[in-house]
Amino acid sequence: MAEAIAKHAYTGGAHAPVKKATFELFARPTAKTGLVGWLTTVDHKKIGMLYGGFAIFFFLVGGLEALLIRTQLIVPNNHFLEAQTYNELFTMHGTTMIFLAVMPLNAAFFNLLIPLQVGARDVAFPRLNSFSLWVWVVGAILLNVGWLSHFVPAWKFGGAPSVGWFGYAPLTSKAFTPQLSTDLWVFGLQVLGLSSIVASLNFIVTIINMRAPGLTMMRLPVFTWMALVTSFLLILALPAIAIALVEVMFDRNFGTNFFEVSGGGQPILWQHLFWVFGHPEVYILILPPMGYVSEILPTFSRKPLFGYPIIVFSGVAIGFIGFGVWSHHMFTTGLGNVATAAFALATMAIAVPTGVKIFNWIGTLWGGQIMTRVPMMFALGFIWMFMLGGFSGIMHSAAPADAQQQDSYFVIAHFHYVLIGGATFALLAAIHYWFPKFFGRMVPEFWGKLSFWLIFIGFNCTFFPMHFLGLNGMPRRTWTYDSNMGWNEGNLVASCGAYLLGLGIFTYFAVLIWSFFKGKVAGNDPWDGRTMEWSIPSPPPEHNFAAIPTVHARDAWWYEKHHQEEIAQERAEHIQAEESHGGIHMPDQSWYPIIAAFGLLIGTYNMAQLHHPVEMFNKVIFATHLPLAITGLCILVTACYLWSLEGPGGYHLHIAPDGKVTESRGDH
Amino acid sequence: MNSHAATIDHHHDATTATGIPNKKLLWWAFLASDCMFFGALISTHLVYRLNPPPGNAVPTQIFNIELTSFSTFILLMSSLLMALAVNAIQRGNVRSTRTMLLGTMFFGCLFLGGQVFEFTHFVYVKKMTLSNSIFGSTFFTLTGTHGTHVAIGVLLLGMMYVRTFKPAQGGGLLLNFVHLLAVCVTFGVAFIWFVPGMIEVVYGASFSELLREHAIPFAAGIVGLIALIALGRTRGAVEFGEKNAIDVEAIGLYWHFVDIVWIIIFTAVYLLEYL
Amino acid sequence: MTRTRPAYRKFFRFAPAFLAGLGLVLLTSCNKVHQVFSLSGPQSTMVTDGPVAARQWDLFMITVYVTTFIFIVVGAVLAYAQIKFRAKSEADEKSEPPHQGHGNPLIEIGLIAASVALLVIIAIPTVRDIWYTHDVPDEEKGNALDVTATGYQWWFQFKYDTEMVKLPAGGETPLVTGNELVVPAGRPIRVQVRTVDVIHSFWVPKLAGKVDMMPNRANFLWFKADRPGYYYGQCAEYCGESHAIMRFRVIALAQPDYDKWLANQKQPARSVTAKSLAAAASVPRVQFASMKLESGAALSGSPEFDANPLAAWHKQQDVEKDEDPALVAKGRQLFSDKTCVSCHSIRGHEGIGVTGPDLTRVGSRSTVAAGVLENTPQLLGEWLRRPNHYKPGNKMWFGGFKVQDTQGEWQPNPKLSELSDAEINALVSYLHSLK
Repeated sequence: MAEAIAKHAYTGGAHAPVKKATFELFARPTAKTGLVGWLTTVDHKKIGMLYGGFAIFFFLVGGLEALLIRTQLIVPNNHFLEAQTYNELFTMHGTTMIFLAVMPLNAAFFNLLIPLQVGARDVAFPRLNSFSLWVWVVGAILLNVGWLSHFVPAWKFGGAPSVGWFGYAPLTSKAFTPQLSTDLWVFGLQVLGLSSIVASLNFIVTIINMRAPGLTMMRLPVFTWMALVTSFLLILALPAIAIALVEVMFDRNFGTNFFEVSGGGQPILWQHLFWVFGHPEVYILILPPMGYVSEILPTFSRKPLFGYPIIVFSGVAIGFIGFGVWSHHMFTTGLGNVATAAFALATMAIAVPTGVKIFNWIGTLWGGQIMTRVPMMFALGFIWMFMLGGFSGIMHSAAPADAQQQDSYFVIAHFHYVLIGGATFALLAAIHYWFPKFFGRMVPEFWGKLSFWLIFIGFNCTFFPMHFLGLNGMPRRTWTYDSNMGWNEGNLVASCGAYLLGLGIFTYFAVLIWSFFKGKVAGNDPWDGRTMEWSIPSPPPEHNFAAIPTVHARDAWWYEKHHQEEIAQERAEHIQAEESHGGIHMPDQSWYPIIAAFGLLIGTYNMAQLHHPVEMFNKVIFATHLPLAITGLCILVTACYLWSLEGPGGYHLHIAPDGKVTESRGDH
Repeated sequence: MNSHAATIDHHHDATTATGIPNKKLLWWAFLASDCMFFGALISTHLVYRLNPPPGNAVPTQIFNIELTSFSTFILLMSSLLMALAVNAIQRGNVRSTRTMLLGTMFFGCLFLGGQVFEFTHFVYVKKMTLSNSIFGSTFFTLTGTHGTHVAIGVLLLGMMYVRTFKPAQGGGLLLNFVHLLAVCVTFGVAFIWFVPGMIEVVYGASFSELLREHAIPFAAGIVGLIALIALGRTRGAVEFGEKNAIDVEAIGLYWHFVDIVWIIIFTAVYLLEYL
Repeated sequence: MTRTRPAYRKFFRFAPAFLAGLGLVLLTSCNKVHQVFSLSGPQSTMVTDGPVAARQWDLFMITVYVTTFIFIVVGAVLAYAQIKFRAKSEADEKSEPPHQGHGNPLIEIGLIAASVALLVIIAIPTVRDIWYTHDVPDEEKGNALDVTATGYQWWFQFKYDTEMVKLPAGGETPLVTGNELVVPAGRPIRVQVRTVDVIHSFWVPKLAGKVDMMPNRANFLWFKADRPGYYYGQCAEYCGESHAIMRFRVIALAQPDYDKWLANQKQPARSVTAKSLAAAASVPRVQFASMKLESGAALSGSPEFDANPLAAWHKQQDVEKDEDPALVAKGRQLFSDKTCVSCHSIRGHEGIGVTGPDLTRVGSRSTVAAGVLENTPQLLGEWLRRPNHYKPGNKMWFGGFKVQDTQGEWQPNPKLSELSDAEINALVSYLHSLK
């Protein structure tokens, strides 16, 4: 057994060099707090919080963009915004909310919860996890850097991207959007895709391979199941858009003809490739929220989830069918009758597993003792609003009727009911529900409920009238509209609702910040939870579990609470067994993931403006950006090389009988 | 989380829930994803094959099917060597593993050299570029992506090869780096200049002219080769061994996958034109 | 969780009932609120005037009935469960947990079967209507009028494929108009949709759902106007900066009116004889040139126009009574001098360009700038004065009044100064003489 070193010895830099690990360029970071601690962390909880923090930041940015959009539309023929600015705003609102808000918020919960719910100490590849996070940050920077050119004229990006979030070719071709903003959009999405694929590979391995003893697949908490399905969707769907983006990039920079009409390109191919990704993406956004709700409803009904196997199977079915319905985004592009009919029927089919979930959630409530705490309010709001969004979805599946609704405000109403009423409500429920677990403090009920009602009313005022705007012929993405179209009142109400929604969201997050400092201290299990994360302290210690739990039933923690003696004995044995193997093994922090991501940033940022000369102090330094792009690539490759040589490393934690944790290094 | 077991079972990892080692599962999942990458590229190619614009290049007038068939055969054979490398390390035979890794890399380089020859030939002789016809666009991106996969595979194998020399007692970062550099230079020169040059010699070019033309890269290649031989001598105990079988096996998975993908591309892009 | 039930709970408890009540009061009392849910606009998909749009609305209503039925049933069960199984008191929440039931396969499978059955109700008419709305029914094919609509950033060109006009230079070409498609009512119209640049979409909600104008793809749609009328259409696929104001109109006329219109269209552009070129410059007759519009004002239709757009359109066909031939002649001269001719065609006059809309009979159109401005002399003048204000990014501004320098920055065109009030006056007179 190795020496146990006191805390100051490993947080300070001065501990005696034991035998150095073989391949190291510089010492591995060991700081647990401070800037270095956060930048080099491999702890899934810290990574999850970083994802969450960044995502909430971009959620608010995207919300601000939405408010600007609604302000422009509040009266007809408004000139509050320029047409081009408006186009940038709706493009970035969509891109931000999907790729920089909802997806990373889901990723935050994947990080925070999956290891806790499967009873593991971290994800399968901790450094890879850190890499995903920083690569995601790179993508976020690339997408948003264009805004700078509105404030600093010398940065000639031509504004933020303005091609719409699905960037239909040939609008993305150099002839129609010569600005750099489109190149940055292409690279930004590509980098975000890389981040998501890497992260998903990690979660797949974690969920399949790192389950605690006794945790069979059919005992997995539903959230983790949905995370698994989502991860598979991500790794299988993202390649389609990655290739499509490569093709656009080649068209713009190297003169290929994939979508260049004059060279024989078929812009319709972009739509197919995009939606082969884009439709599974819809389920990527909504399946994790279905998971949160499937966790929250049983807790606050004090009853297990109704029809667990059917909920799981319908989640998997949604994932499968989700790959076969992409063309329902293209009913108006002239697919031909047979294809249109086939995709219309497949789209109706996917409504069935979705409906099944709603039935089962109602079944969960039935016969329970419903406690209407704030997370439960958001979860119930989710069911109602998601149901409405689902209904307008069914309306779209009737292809001929869709010819009137496609690209109208009816579609805007539909997917905001699914993505706000659905995904966002569930995410807000989840944030409120797990906040005490990760910050150790409760959020006050009154303010939570107030924010719920503000959000609920604001949301419905904003988006319910949009159904009617769409049926009254208002197309989406319109910078302005005429006063004689009958759209004035609907837009006015929608804009006012949007301000109310903004106020609700502001209240929600303001209260969270207050609670972080002043909230009532929460115990381990403030909600009488059912899954394993509630069995450990709040906030969880770095090693999560003093002993890897053995799972005996589906709602593992609920079972443990009702079989305490048996569990206590089992747990003591596990702690002893682990200590006899050298203690709890924890992975080491590392600099290389963030350095590699930095190299990627340099590489892609310069690659995006490849053919432009590099200017500094009004002098042309390089004729193109290629040298800088190659520099970035070299940093990336070197960092990966050193990363692989460094090895996972690791240290051990030892838990004394009094619960005190000590740390030891270099003993393996 | 501990690997203190006395004997190593290559097909079962007791520390994971399924018994499949984490790395292997990661690679499998990645390959599933990679399938979709190639799927999208092949679909693009086939879509434009069915909807050719006027003036598109005619594939059968451009392809050199004999050469491509030969390099396909070479790539298939490299998979055999890869399997032998995995087998060797599972038996703990590091020397044999090194030989098989080098052999796999060599065959990979032959294939890549064939592709470099093919690309230059298409561009300069057949006048088909990335941008002057849609067939060029889809062909070069699809086969180029595959070529990049093979090149990355060679690099990974090279890194694995260098890693087999990592001394048991630690240290040796600089030496490791120099060794990897030698691998990169040697194999890089081989597939960019040497192999395509030799193919031209086979088709009747003059060998001495080839030497004159690419004197600098060939000189660098020879230096690299000498360094490779010098560094390849065994020095003391190495850390690499049977426990690393999973690492070699993971790369092997990737290599076999790239191989299989080539068979599909060869069928869909080349053979289909001769039906 | 041990504290007693706080007072605010009562407030939140009645929040749903309170909200529902408030909503109901608002809905039933306030006229403005009624307007939010009104579907009577000129682009309404409900108030249809043709068989294609009518089928689409009927199908939509089937989906509405089915989903409303599901909503009422499921919503009632959900609401009942929420109220009935609510923990009534603090003690309730602390009591023994309820029965830990895991589900009931029979109920679940039954519900799946029920949902499938309900979807079939939608599926059958969907498939039937996919075929109906796709192409003109066989029995009406012989009677159909073929038109090609082409999208440009950001306006529409309409070509009558079978209606040939003689070119002044000899030969003939199909009749071309811009932004206003005039069709005979009661006859099926088969529209080939094309584009010269990016994807646009052809959408006249009262007549038919949209079909995209895809590059390298021969899409088409059909519609029929049941009665003469003035229909609003708009591009429905995001196509760049001024997508929002890429609008057009479809004017359906009774067959005799249509024939009369067609005959007039086939003539070369109308000429007004110049009496005195010199006199015109000193006495501008139409005093609108310095007028400025407030932003936010209604642009495309004055109240009189909106009251009966079809009548307004008919009125627009008449030659203006106070025409000044001298001014018209000056305008015609300016139209060449200001290089307008290189982008706009005026058949029989100097214009030969094809980049912009054909202006052979621009004076008889009810709107200018692709449906953005009513075609009054004032607004046409406004359009000529500030094209980039009314249609940001358009080619008359970028490429006409502005040209790119070597750095790619847009600079004033040295060969084309912006128009003076007098010049606008003359140009408007000329353009409005083209009836």
